[in-house]
Amino acid sequence: MPPLIRFENLTLGYERHPAIHHLNADIPAGALVAVVGPNGAGKSTLLKGLAGELRPIGGRIHLPDLPRGGIAYMPQRSEMDQSFPVSVFDMVAMGLWRELGPFGGLSRAQRHRVENAIEAVSLSGFEARQIGSLSGGQLQRARFARLILQDAPIILLDEPFAAIDARTVEDLVHLILHWHAEGRTVLTVVHDFEQVRRHFSTCLLLARELVAFGPTSLVMTDALLARARHLSEAFDENAPECHVAEAA
Amino acid sequence: MSLNELLFAPFADFGFMRRALAGCLALSFGATPVGVFLLLRRMSLMGDAMSHAILPGAALGYLAFGLSLGAMTIGGILAGLVVVFAAGLVTRASVLKEDASLAAFYLLSLAAGVMIVSLRGRNLDLLHVLFGSVLALDDQSLLLIASITSLTLFGLALLFRPLVLECFDPSFLRAVSRLSPVAHYGFLLLVVFNLVSGFHALGTLMAVGIMILPSAAARLWTRSLPAMLLFASLSALASSIAGLLFSFHADVPAGPAIVLMCGLVYFASLIAAPGGLLAGRLPSRKHLES
Amino acid sequence: MLSLSRITATLFATFALSTGAAHAAPIEVTASFSILGDMVREVGGDRVNVQTLVGPDEDTHGFQPRPSDSRRIGSAQLVVANGLGFDDWMIRLARSGGYTRPVVIASTGIDTLAKGAGDHDHDHDHDHGTGEGIDPHAWQDVGNALRYVNNIAAALIDADPAGADEYRANAERYSGQLKALDAEIHKALGSLPRERRKVVTSHAAFGYFAHAYNVEFLSPVGVSNNAEPTAKGVAQLIRQLRKEKVAAIFVENISDPRLSERISAESGAVMGGMLYSDALSTTAGPAPTYIAMMRHNLHTLMAALTSAPPAR
Repeated sequence: MPPLIRFENLTLGYERHPAIHHLNADIPAGALVAVVGPNGAGKSTLLKGLAGELRPIGGRIHLPDLPRGGIAYMPQRSEMDQSFPVSVFDMVAMGLWRELGPFGGLSRAQRHRVENAIEAVSLSGFEARQIGSLSGGQLQRARFARLILQDAPIILLDEPFAAIDARTVEDLVHLILHWHAEGRTVLTVVHDFEQVRRHFSTCLLLARELVAFGPTSLVMTDALLARARHLSEAFDENAPECHVAEAA
Repeated sequence: MSLNELLFAPFADFGFMRRALAGCLALSFGATPVGVFLLLRRMSLMGDAMSHAILPGAALGYLAFGLSLGAMTIGGILAGLVVVFAAGLVTRASVLKEDASLAAFYLLSLAAGVMIVSLRGRNLDLLHVLFGSVLALDDQSLLLIASITSLTLFGLALLFRPLVLECFDPSFLRAVSRLSPVAHYGFLLLVVFNLVSGFHALGTLMAVGIMILPSAAARLWTRSLPAMLLFASLSALASSIAGLLFSFHADVPAGPAIVLMCGLVYFASLIAAPGGLLAGRLPSRKHLES
Repeated sequence: MLSLSRITATLFATFALSTGAAHAAPIEVTASFSILGDMVREVGGDRVNVQTLVGPDEDTHGFQPRPSDSRRIGSAQLVVANGLGFDDWMIRLARSGGYTRPVVIASTGIDTLAKGAGDHDHDHDHDHGTGEGIDPHAWQDVGNALRYVNNIAAALIDADPAGADEYRANAERYSGQLKALDAEIHKALGSLPRERRKVVTSHAAFGYFAHAYNVEFLSPVGVSNNAEPTAKGVAQLIRQLRKEKVAAIFVENISDPRLSERISAESGAVMGGMLYSDALSTTAGPAPTYIAMMRHNLHTLMAALTSAPPAR
């Protein structure tokens, strides 16, 4: 089966410094991949590149033809302005954008789906609350609910469990596994090795370069993890131009 | 003084009062909602910046057509659009945030305007000529504000969802829709139109005052956006009526009177509203079970 | 012996004397303000060199004399002032500058009017320098201007008897022009019906004009003092204009033309142009001489009064 996502000699970075250097990997459809690595390894950058927020400075990302919104991307939490007056229901309902467009009102069926999504993340009863009144864990659940409604074949999650209470984490992990069971391709940046080992069958170990990609048990070995840690975290201000040959 | 004399007679007897009221009505339902969004996007100071930014446009209009209000207003709108769009572009494409990029452009615009005016040799306070007064609304000005209000209501209704999303989660909007720039720039377009037509008809103080003060007050009372929009507009209208009557009976300038009334509402809200100063300090009622 | 050089010398001497006689050094005259200065020039012709202390478009009321003014007055051979409290500082200045001859009061002999005669209550915050309440703007009646001319001519003849003939001739010529002007004004304004001859103007300086030519000048209620018009002010003005059925209004301190338009539309009064009361304009303006000024005022009044809609 052809891979859904192919990274071809991919270099992604900021101001000519590569955060990801000459990455080659194929992600099969329906894979559930944990993206791991030390700080500064380029994990967020990889997801940003996949989501289209960052243009490659070298190489390519091969993706299937998807309509806009076909990749659902959840960045790290800092982006949303929680002080803005909008209710949980309205925020979650934005997940139906692809169907509604900018003007359409919600049909009864659609309203039900929003309510179901809210229920799926155990936020029933919170529909009318302002997003500003939610705790960190509750907001994260709401974002997941929105993601459910997006119904995207590819889902990218950047550190979805950072600073979240254990109970919420457990619930959200179940949701991810549910998506996997539905045949969606999910890439998740995870820090907790326990979680990775327990739930994620495939693992991508990054340290700005690809260290290893494959079944978790084979990738998450002490030797490989140590190697990843050794690779430099900081950008080298005086790095020379890279001479590794670009793929044809 | 009977109630009739106090409240209704001023408007019944004098055309200029009726026109002033009509102008304020239009502004309350066109400009004030735009002001709510400006406030929420932390762009409240934009009105002031804009009043300077339009100078080169007005100056070019003056150079080409002399003291023609129409030419200068159109020039002002164009200059405002250029500044706002350039600033918006810079914000989206560079590391500079909205305040820095807007400040940079409006300062440049003002400097350019001053130089253009000096080309004619005379030291003319163009902006003073350009800015109107609420008591002097001629047919042209009324038509202008009414049109802008209609355009604004239509635009806001059309852009409501993308605009809201663009305000609180722009990266999500970018991910799901191509409309992100439309929402962003469309909103800025409405801002410029409302500001410049407000300046033309009513002067800077009133135009900006009626956009921001009622919005700030509304923010203190409610956290629902539709409720905020309604509260802001209604309080703007009420303040306008009160201000006009105050100017009429107490012999004080009208524009400032209206803005001061908006200010009174704001201060009352600051003190009494749930989002205000006293809210956290008063002994609260018993909390709910859940 | 009549040598060539002697004849030439004599010829030169005679020549010099005769030219000297025809072009004697002009009399130095200092006038207090532009209108007087113009009149002195008309009567004095080439025989006088007139300095005016308060120039065109300047305000006599707030005038603060400078040391250079004092020096100028000191070297004058004749000092002319209006009197009636308009420019009392002129007399003080003359004394302090060392001018010993009497100051010519141009308004001597006219029938004065009290301040406020011809116009109703006004907020006149100018200080005319006297508590007597006499209106000093006597030149607004061209009939009085004739008296001014006579006084000026007499003073010039007194100061420079050699030029008496010239002064008399100039005065007569100028008086003729003034009489024609007076008749012109009478005729034009007389052609309007009584009810039409009612205007509002902010500067209460037209008492003599009102009296002489039968025009009623009212002070505007409400908008005279405020920098920014208030709703009450505008309403009062409109009420006044409607009630008095005023045909035209000349208010300089409503600077916003759109506001003037509104007031005009609601009251039926036509918004007129600018009336000159206390000073001439510069030569580039419409009122560089006294006669030009009075004509300009007349035309401005007529234009507004004839274009106003019929009185209701």
